[in-house]
Amino acid sequence: MNFSKRISPATDNPVDALVRFEDVKKSYDGINFVVKDLNLTVSRGEFLTMLGPSGSGKTTTLMMLGGFEQPTLGHILLDNRPVERLPPETRNIGFVFQNYALFPHMTVAENVAFPLRYRGITGIAARERVRQALGRVNLEALGDRRPAQLSGGQQQRVALARALVFEPSLVLMDEPLGALDKQLRERMQIEIKQLQTSLGITMVYVTHDQSEALTMSDRIAVFHDGRIQQLADPATLYNEPANRFVASFIGENNSLSCTLLAREGGLAVVRMADGTTLKAAGTNVSGTGTDMSISIRPENISLAGEGVRADLNRFIGKARDVFFLGDHMRLSIEAFGGQLVTARIPARQARHFASGADVVLECGISECRLLEV
Amino acid sequence: MWLPSYATPSERLMRTLVMAFVIAVLLFLVAPLFIIVPLSFSKDPFFTLPVKEYSLRWYADFFGNARWMNAIFNSAVAAVMTTILATTLGTLAALGISRPNFPARRLIMALLISPMIVPIVIVAVGSYLFFGQFGLTNTRTGLVLAHTALATPFVVITVTATLSTYDTNLTRAALSLGASPSSAFFRVTLPNIMPGVISGAIFAFATSFDEVVVALFMTAAEQRTLPVQMFSGIRDQINPTIMAAATLLLALSIVLFAMLALLTPRRVK
Amino acid sequence: MAVADMDRINVFMAVRRAEKPARRAALSLALPLIVFLVVAFVAPILYLLVTAVGNPETRQVLPRTLGALETWDGVSVPDEPVYAALAADLKVAKDNSTAALLGKRLNYEISGMRSRVLAAARMVERLDTGPYKQKFLELNKDWGSPESWAIIKRNGTSLTPYYLLTALDLQQAPNGSVERVQGDQAIFLDVLARTLFVAGLVTLFTLILGYPVAYVLTIAPKAIAGIMMLMVLLPLWTSLLVRTTAWVVLLQSDGVINDVLMALHLTSDRLQLIFTRAGTVIAMTHIQLPFTILPIYSVMRSIPATQLRAARSLGAPPSSAFWRIYAPQTLPGVVAGCLMTFILSLGYYITPALVGGPRDQMVSNFISVYINRDLNWGLAAALGVVLLVVTLAIYLLFLRLVGADKIKLG
Repeated sequence: MNFSKRISPATDNPVDALVRFEDVKKSYDGINFVVKDLNLTVSRGEFLTMLGPSGSGKTTTLMMLGGFEQPTLGHILLDNRPVERLPPETRNIGFVFQNYALFPHMTVAENVAFPLRYRGITGIAARERVRQALGRVNLEALGDRRPAQLSGGQQQRVALARALVFEPSLVLMDEPLGALDKQLRERMQIEIKQLQTSLGITMVYVTHDQSEALTMSDRIAVFHDGRIQQLADPATLYNEPANRFVASFIGENNSLSCTLLAREGGLAVVRMADGTTLKAAGTNVSGTGTDMSISIRPENISLAGEGVRADLNRFIGKARDVFFLGDHMRLSIEAFGGQLVTARIPARQARHFASGADVVLECGISECRLLEV
Repeated sequence: MWLPSYATPSERLMRTLVMAFVIAVLLFLVAPLFIIVPLSFSKDPFFTLPVKEYSLRWYADFFGNARWMNAIFNSAVAAVMTTILATTLGTLAALGISRPNFPARRLIMALLISPMIVPIVIVAVGSYLFFGQFGLTNTRTGLVLAHTALATPFVVITVTATLSTYDTNLTRAALSLGASPSSAFFRVTLPNIMPGVISGAIFAFATSFDEVVVALFMTAAEQRTLPVQMFSGIRDQINPTIMAAATLLLALSIVLFAMLALLTPRRVK
Repeated sequence: MAVADMDRINVFMAVRRAEKPARRAALSLALPLIVFLVVAFVAPILYLLVTAVGNPETRQVLPRTLGALETWDGVSVPDEPVYAALAADLKVAKDNSTAALLGKRLNYEISGMRSRVLAAARMVERLDTGPYKQKFLELNKDWGSPESWAIIKRNGTSLTPYYLLTALDLQQAPNGSVERVQGDQAIFLDVLARTLFVAGLVTLFTLILGYPVAYVLTIAPKAIAGIMMLMVLLPLWTSLLVRTTAWVVLLQSDGVINDVLMALHLTSDRLQLIFTRAGTVIAMTHIQLPFTILPIYSVMRSIPATQLRAARSLGAPPSSAFWRIYAPQTLPGVVAGCLMTFILSLGYYITPALVGGPRDQMVSNFISVYINRDLNWGLAAALGVVLLVVTLAIYLLFLRLVGADKIKLG
């Protein structure tokens, strides 16, 4: 399946496009392609995240945009100008590296002033720019320190200030928060997002952390196996995963095998392994009788209510494990002839279940998504 | 070669030049060592290449000569004794130094390393004058004592390096499982640091076997070692038998080096 | 002092006390080696220091004379009692055969003294009674020279600065003032300067040759880097004597290097390479090269690749990124490698002895000559002290800049 051509109309407008990848392929050995047929447009002012497991091609894509790798085939356009043969120093792109790559033999201020020297900004003008940039990340007071004397979060900010000081139109970030602890990471996510919005910069951000991607992005490109599996805004990505990989990679998901029986209106009727029939909202998949899977998010499964409703699927299972987690209860249920289904029940609905007890569950038909295997 | 793909043409040219230079330097490093090998197999007593006719006459000379044989024997005995002493003392010291609460570590480390730093001739003259007071010059004991002092820094360094990667929880685990401190050491710690200890021992052996200056001062004809015999030979009149001796020493170095390489899987990147 | 401070001190002392057994246990493991090194390494070096200032000869051989000289005014010719004491001392010396020893020692400071002492010793053997003064002056009028007597008196002390001063081309005038040695006697500062110069030159060459090698080692693919590393480490492993032997052979005037130069028509006459300064520096550079490469490589390896990328992304062209970002970060390795090579080069003995000419001999070679040929142990020891002080000064610099625990073996 290739969803890389799924570009939303708004961002397809060439006036708005800052970056365009056109049929970009990358291979190191001529046999295996790390990036296969990439087409992607990043519009001005957008925060685009490339999300995927390691080895999915997202970092290679970022490196090609930054100028540290060259595409084997295809073109990269920056401001409608092909840049794939330009060395990095001429692209005027801000780059925040994993582990920051701060220069250890220079002070914070010298680090931030470094890009200014190559843009003819020196002396008082440079000092003023450095002060401003450090002010933006709340580090005015630390200009004389060496990077080694800073905390991880402060180093992160210096890297950010250094990438922003020369006012690039585009800033690339390669897992910039990977080295920070959870709390700091969450704070920095918000800070970076605020900076991006207030300065109106275009950002391309690489991460393997889905919650980071969901928090910060305007759009997310999910990478797997050298291709973009889905490119969409966070809500669409979460609620309407385009395929099984996206469904399982973003958030928690029950992926249950089934067979497509028929299509009824916009819905699909499927038969589960034990013969139960369920209805599911499908993509435009066809092929009656073929093996499919449906994906249901644990939080969309609830204990069955009083009456039967047409917009809900209802099924029976046996409770296997029950965990109480404060705000919710986590049920592990054996259903559909031995498949394990996980459900998150809000605490206020929670009841006690003995292991092995029969449980009746339901979930919205629109939240059961039929996907190709 | 090995350029980032964003390299500019001038970078590429520069890199080509650097590569050519580096290859030349590497040849400069290695070629002189191997020039002696063909010469030692030459039939003629000249040091010119290419060799016209090959023969083993200089090796026959070497092995048939009681003085060379005696020198080999002396070197081997001194080197083995030095290795045993230096490895024992050095390993113990490294174990102490690697403990977190070792006092005055920098100072003592500087002392333990200093035999590598002090000019060899000073060690030689100092040993000659000092050991002479106790009748130890021109004895094997004196030579071994001086060589051991020179060899211990290598053992300390290799074992300390190995210990820095040793997980002390292994020892703690052994103790928690009921091992006595000494059996925890011999059955858990020592097997784990063994590569470092053996590397140190190889270094110690090579240090003693190759050492010339101290041996020159500390030995008479009877204890004369192989390097001293070679040194005197070159001084008087360099002859092809010395080439044979040098080739054999080179072969020994390669063997020791290979042993070392097998012991420590070298981390290149 | 505030109560809080007292508390802190008390806690500190309590911690020190509590940690003491563990510290002792750690130290006791290192103790055998420490004791061994003190006996077999430090003591010989200290003995060398003592030898460099030791002055036993005059005190042993001329005790009476020195006693008699105590009342001498230092400017006039001494009176009869001094000569009588000298005669008595020399009689004993003749019996113990220690006159030659004294003569040799005094000869360092008063030329011709060796034969004067020996002649005087032979003379007093034949004399039974005095007065002696006249007889000594008849034998050699220099026995009346107040300068000679001043020097003899000065050497009555158990320590002498003579050897150390000599090693620095200085001498003590009979009146005690220190002055520079003139003419062809002044050789040692020249030797020291030559040693430093050769060591510096070798260090510079190893840096120029080694830096690119270390760099390529860090960027080469694994397999090639492994082979390169082998080529760097193998020479390090080969006996210094074997490497020097190789250069002796290569540098012969009918040797391989001259053959190649002739074949390439780079020179029409065979060059004199063996027994020259150039040959010595080439051979030493070859031997020291791995010592410079390895510390630089070890530092370069720790510099992340993103440093250069970051510099480029911020707008720096390749050369600027290299010199402003990469090179400064390799400095600790450069300092470590260069200091290591410089220190080791200072102590070279074998290579200059076999490859160098008479004008290329370093401090070590002179030490050896004074021990083995001239039997002037005091001067040999003093030269050793000078070499040791210079080396230790640089070693301390090394420790300050780099640290002993950074010394690695490949």
